[in-house]
Amino acid sequence: MNRASLHFLLAALVAIALPLFMRSGTLASEVLIFAMAAAACNLLLGYTGLLSFGQGIFFGLGSYAAGLTLLHTSVPLALALVLSAITGAVVATGVGWLSIRRQGVYFVMLTLAFSQFFYFLAYTFKDITGGDNGLLNIPRPAIGPFSLGESWTYYAFVAVLFLLLFAALQRVASSTFGRTLLAVRDNEERARAIGFPVRNFKITAFAISGAVTGLAGALHALLIGVAPLSNIDYHMSESILIMTIIGGTGNLFASVLGAGFYVIVSDLLSSIWPRWLLLLGGLLIVVALFMQKGLWGLLERLVEALPMGRKSSINSSIEPPIQPESEGRGI
Amino acid sequence: MSTQTPILAADKLSVRYGSFLALSDVTLSIKPNTIHSVIGPNGAGKTTLFHALTGRVRASSGQITLDGRDITHVSDDKRVPLGIARSFQVTSLFQNLNVRENLRLAAQGRNPLQALAPWRGVDPRDHALAVAGEVMERLELTHVSDRAAGELSHGQQRRLEVGMAVAAKPRLILLDEPTSGMGIDDVEAMKALIRNLGRDHTVLFIEHNMGIVMNISDTVTVMRAGRVLVEGPPAVVRDDPEVRRAYLGNMITGDIA
Ligand SMILES: Nc1ncnc2c1ncn2[C@@H]1O[C@H](COP(=O)(O)OP(=O)(O)OP(=O)(O)O)[C@@H](O)[C@H]1O
Ligand SMILES: [Mg+2]
Repeated sequence: MNRASLHFLLAALVAIALPLFMRSGTLASEVLIFAMAAAACNLLLGYTGLLSFGQGIFFGLGSYAAGLTLLHTSVPLALALVLSAITGAVVATGVGWLSIRRQGVYFVMLTLAFSQFFYFLAYTFKDITGGDNGLLNIPRPAIGPFSLGESWTYYAFVAVLFLLLFAALQRVASSTFGRTLLAVRDNEERARAIGFPVRNFKITAFAISGAVTGLAGALHALLIGVAPLSNIDYHMSESILIMTIIGGTGNLFASVLGAGFYVIVSDLLSSIWPRWLLLLGGLLIVVALFMQKGLWGLLERLVEALPMGRKSSINSSIEPPIQPESEGRGI
Repeated sequence: MSTQTPILAADKLSVRYGSFLALSDVTLSIKPNTIHSVIGPNGAGKTTLFHALTGRVRASSGQITLDGRDITHVSDDKRVPLGIARSFQVTSLFQNLNVRENLRLAAQGRNPLQALAPWRGVDPRDHALAVAGEVMERLELTHVSDRAAGELSHGQQRRLEVGMAVAAKPRLILLDEPTSGMGIDDVEAMKALIRNLGRDHTVLFIEHNMGIVMNISDTVTVMRAGRVLVEGPPAVVRDDPEVRRAYLGNMITGDIA
């Protein structure tokens, strides 16, 4: 079995295992929704080398887009979701297009500035977004014959979308496009010198990331029935980045781990200790200092430490440039 | 020969770094299917000339033409599909990617927009992969094809650096000090390779090793302080008094074959 199929299988296992171990369908759905957002963030951070603080913009706008269409029109759910993805993609293209004009710190600052800009935009246009209160009473229409009213049926719907998107992102990551992104991350100057219009590649990565994040935002708004201002807040960008980094940026499944960990641990801790964010900060420091491959890296080490530990084939930090024999399949 | 349109020509090309004039009114004409070398003391502006010809730095003034077409304002990545590829004096590889992938990317750079399709996988029969295979054979890198570029020995990295330019299948190939830091054996192999490339490419190369320069060049351009000092066939350049002065008389020792 190749690496991509293994990771897809792991993602499927997570989607199946969550209902078995969790009591709340809402929390389980949240895990998968943020797993999508974190995987999309990983496409930028891990594959392209772009630290984007703009992910919350796409997430929040996805929430608003879905909320507004479902509140004010009677379009089918699927169309509302597609609209959210398009909104995410279009705005990400614009934000990406402007931000990648600068590199390094200035790039990060630009995404941060956009994040603030869109937050205040949402805050200012209260008539449309509901401002501080958020966009309330978003309905959750049935999809075809299936009612999604019950929290575990909604979870099933989210899980199917999650797996489809995960597979699609894997496909993107292993395509000639994804492999060129890895080259850009590694040595942007050389990538340009051998003929790649690097900016177009970065913008496309932004668009894809924005689409997935927008869709995740829409699913989140449907989950809680509200498109809150906090979904477009700078803290949303921060949370998505933290999930991505804690999980590890080497592969897409790591982001699922990161999101799961973040969502479940914050849920547990926030009920027993209001200052739990301190712990999260501490953990982030540990990851940055000692385990840069994140939770995935930790998992790798554990698997290797097992007596019948797998060969070190699992070892390298990023899906390595695939051998010509071993690939050619989609996921 | 002299009536042929040059494949690449520079007309009064100048490059400024801030207030410093690194290249000053350089006029150069590269004849197709020749091996043309650029020599000159450190800081003469040779690499800057390459940067300008390949589009990495903007020309402050002057014009560059490829087959008579003005390419002065064409960006560096867009010059690759036009048939210009280069190697760097300071090795610049994809350190974390393996040798085959480095070369596959370099070959794909000739058709970069094909790689913009996020759903398109890399087929095992991919043209770019086949080219990568060929180049690995040619540069004796096949046995390390699966090693990350950053793990290669210095000599192997230098060969791969040149291979990156070869993989683009350019018509004009620019090599910036391809032998720098190489051991004796590698230098000989590189000399043979450059001569070999000259059969089906136009080669422009910067080199400090006079043995190679005098031996395999059709034309030699000598630069100093951002200007062209002398240009001509090796035998003429070798005996030019100005050139001898530029090199303090002691560096041109290679024999002329
Ligand atoms: N990015 C830059 N900014 C400012 N000055 C530069 C820059 N790059 C090169 N220079 C200066 O321009 C001059 C020409 O440099 P260049 O690298 O073209 O020389 P060269 O002939 O290739 O030398 P060498 O044989 O040492 O490689 C040098 O004085 C160098 O210091
Ligand atoms: Mg130089």
